[in-house]
Amino acid sequence: MIEAKVGARLGEFQLRAEIKGDGTTCLAGKNGAGKTTLMRAIAGFLSVDEGYVRVGGTDVTNQPVEKRGVVLVTPATHIPHLGVDSHIVWGARIRGVKPPGGYVSKVKSDLGIDYAGTVGNLSRGMRQRVALATALISSPKAILVDEAFLGLNDRESFISTYRTLTKGVGIDLVFSSQDEEDGNLADNLFVMNDGVATPKR
Amino acid sequence: MNWLRLISLASLLLLLVPIFVLLYYGLGPLRDAAGYSVVVFRSIGLTLFSSALAVAVDLVLFTPLAYYLARGRDRITESLVDIPISVPHPIIGVALLILDSPVTPTGKFLLALHINFYNTILGLVTALVIMSAPIYVKSMQPYFESKDSSPEEFAMGMGASRLKTLYSVVLPSSFDGLSSASLISMSRALSEFGSISIIAYYVLQYPFYGVSPASVTIYEFFSGNMAGGLNAAVTASAAMILVAIPITLAGHLLRRRSGN
Repeated sequence: MIEAKVGARLGEFQLRAEIKGDGTTCLAGKNGAGKTTLMRAIAGFLSVDEGYVRVGGTDVTNQPVEKRGVVLVTPATHIPHLGVDSHIVWGARIRGVKPPGGYVSKVKSDLGIDYAGTVGNLSRGMRQRVALATALISSPKAILVDEAFLGLNDRESFISTYRTLTKGVGIDLVFSSQDEEDGNLADNLFVMNDGVATPKR
Repeated sequence: MNWLRLISLASLLLLLVPIFVLLYYGLGPLRDAAGYSVVVFRSIGLTLFSSALAVAVDLVLFTPLAYYLARGRDRITESLVDIPISVPHPIIGVALLILDSPVTPTGKFLLALHINFYNTILGLVTALVIMSAPIYVKSMQPYFESKDSSPEEFAMGMGASRLKTLYSVVLPSSFDGLSSASLISMSRALSEFGSISIIAYYVLQYPFYGVSPASVTIYEFFSGNMAGGLNAAVTASAAMILVAIPITLAGHLLRRRSGN
């Protein structure tokens, strides 16, 4: 369960959003609606002026990023010098988590990662798959996917697969989209506009 | 006619004319054998050795500071870094002398630990670290700032601390920035005179027993303390410039390649 009721000011922009969602949550909205800002506030990269962030029932508002158990994945997210296989287990290694036998291979095959090489040299879509697999295998409490599903060739089926995988291990998933229709791929849908989130489902 | 280019090249020439004139006379009309004797080469050897050691210390101790400044927005610390190079350089030499003097409590403490700066390689390297580290930090900080922070944020979300993120995510992809900053701060160390002429006019340790740093040796020729006089000073200066220029140029070329 992700619960956030946050107020923050960024220059002219005012974020005043409240979301609450179990499972998979879609944040839909146009450019500049505040999706990224809200996600950065939940992940801890933006300090909020007021409100709270709770992840899995724990208040993390005042916790540093590395203690929150929330991974933010953007299209630029990857560790360039690592090979695909060491990248995928990097986060698990940092967190001291040992993935169950066969789980890494299952995630790789489900997410279409059938390539190797240095991650920094891969195409953007290939890197995004690796980053999303890495986040999943590090088994955080929540994964926030900011635009990182865009540009994947099998986007809708990829989101469904990723949703099933996160649900299977009890990770909350929040993803942003510019299309409200993507709410069909999630358990909860919030439409963001001018820093305010309105629940649609 | 590109006037901006013309004015820029003219002002650059103003900076370089003295160096070119010195190179011409040092290698040509005023060439003096004392200026490229064993004494001079051992001096240059000591300067290269101590500057390289100072840069190694900069790399280990000051990379975290540069990263902290790049990601931390700590303006006060940022301005404090500049203090050592914004005071007349002999002051740093005097400061080290007092810090490690037998008449001060700090000196008594350091000397009891056998830490002696006066006329030692340790003192020489310490002064060079103090004079080159601010340049190193000022070179690395914008490099780190220009790097996309997404990989770092990703790593921190997975539980890596800032320091762990620096060592396992940022540094492995920072070879160009580290090399360029090292070479630029090394050229700063090679050029130091003020502080080291006080704390380590010469060093009394193997393998540089009785050897002065290159800048001090040039001054020795010039002041007449060492046989050879002005001609030897000009020749030794030209030799030192020939050693220093490739290091400075390499640092800046690498910097350009890394896009900073």
